[in-house]
Amino acid sequence: MFVQLNFRSGVPVYLQVAQQVKAAAASGALRPGDALPSVRALAEELRINRNTAAKAYAELESEGVLELRQGSGCFLKANGASPLRRAVRSERLGAELDAVIVQAHHLQIGDDDLRALLDERLADFRGRQRQRGQS
Amino acid sequence: MNTPAIEVRQLVHRYGRAEALQGLDLTVEPGQCYGFFGRNGAGKTTTIKCLLNLLRPHSGSVRVFGMDPRTREAEVKTRLAYVPDFVAFYPWMSVREALDYQASFRGHWNRDVEGSLLRQFQLDPAAPTSGLSKGQRTQLALIGAIAAEPELLVLDEPTSGLDPLVRREFIQTVIGAYQDAAPGKRTVFVSTHLITEFEGLIDRFTVLDQGKAVLTADADEARAKFRRLRARFEGDAPAESEFKAAKSVKRDGRSVELIVNGNGDELMAQLRAMKPTEVTTESLTLEEIFMATVR
Repeated sequence: MFVQLNFRSGVPVYLQVAQQVKAAAASGALRPGDALPSVRALAEELRINRNTAAKAYAELESEGVLELRQGSGCFLKANGASPLRRAVRSERLGAELDAVIVQAHHLQIGDDDLRALLDERLADFRGRQRQRGQS
Repeated sequence: MNTPAIEVRQLVHRYGRAEALQGLDLTVEPGQCYGFFGRNGAGKTTTIKCLLNLLRPHSGSVRVFGMDPRTREAEVKTRLAYVPDFVAFYPWMSVREALDYQASFRGHWNRDVEGSLLRQFQLDPAAPTSGLSKGQRTQLALIGAIAAEPELLVLDEPTSGLDPLVRREFIQTVIGAYQDAAPGKRTVFVSTHLITEFEGLIDRFTVLDQGKAVLTADADEARAKFRRLRARFEGDAPAESEFKAAKSVKRDGRSVELIVNGNGDELMAQLRAMKPTEVTTESLTLEEIFMATVR
């Protein structure tokens, strides 16, 4: 599994799992229809509590990233099927961006540099997506 | 609200004049994996003995599934399994016989769980228990505890004295197997001073020090609050007395290290205002939080 936990990040463990699955899905490392490990297997592999693994999957399911099929396991959903309204999606992303802005302030990174950095990372991300698409 | 699996209020117990427990409060909700952290002698085993009616507290109340273990001992004991830090079996029994013997006291026994864990731990059912290593004894005791599928699993120092490489693995296996069925109903209460092994397993914990709960928190919440801030300065670092709001301060020449509890943002701002050349922050692990909390 591609999930790397960091207990020193201060980010709740279930969120770390959810964020990394989303990152893998967004970059194409995980594709629609791909099976994910069962809650128990995930818990065992990451040495985390079953409750935490289940909470991560519940979060991903509520965001429409994956679906739990009774009896057969857990699968990545096709993108674009987010059940959340656009306003809710914007609000969620907005909160994440606020955190980035606060962090940039603390690191004394100016607005222009922050915008440039965002463009750079976006370009990088799209590049990786294209590469995976070709392979 | 569900009835807590364990509820302890103002528990006091003395051995002679020594106060082992000095007004302990503890609430464990069903389905949680709860860590009970303390040094040797902090009162962990005394607390567990009160839960099992092996000791009568001097004052305070103990409830397990809402019942008083002193008056409803049999009912309490059918719903939990307890694995002590030192496990003994009748030496003339084989692994198979020891499990059958335990099963004979239980109303319920899951043979599938028993069989799959015996295989995973590579324990030979025909082997005599007298020839088992300390680790294998603990494995056998854990299999017996889990096969009974109790609502509450009480583990007292389950990994102490075991090979560090092995113990992390098998505690994970056992707790994973136990909580796999009926999630939300299977509660684990684990007492330990070896906290690193349980870092990812613990939902919530209490740090016990000198018979009192000195910290109770969700693991995620504790890691978010307890942080280490480090700053380096061009010249000498500010004096330790500048950081009264920190939990602890270590100053060494041009650098300073603060441990903070919940007020990391304010102290971070204070540090930045002092124009350091470099500042970093990271969360503490549960073990470090424990170390920062006990005296």
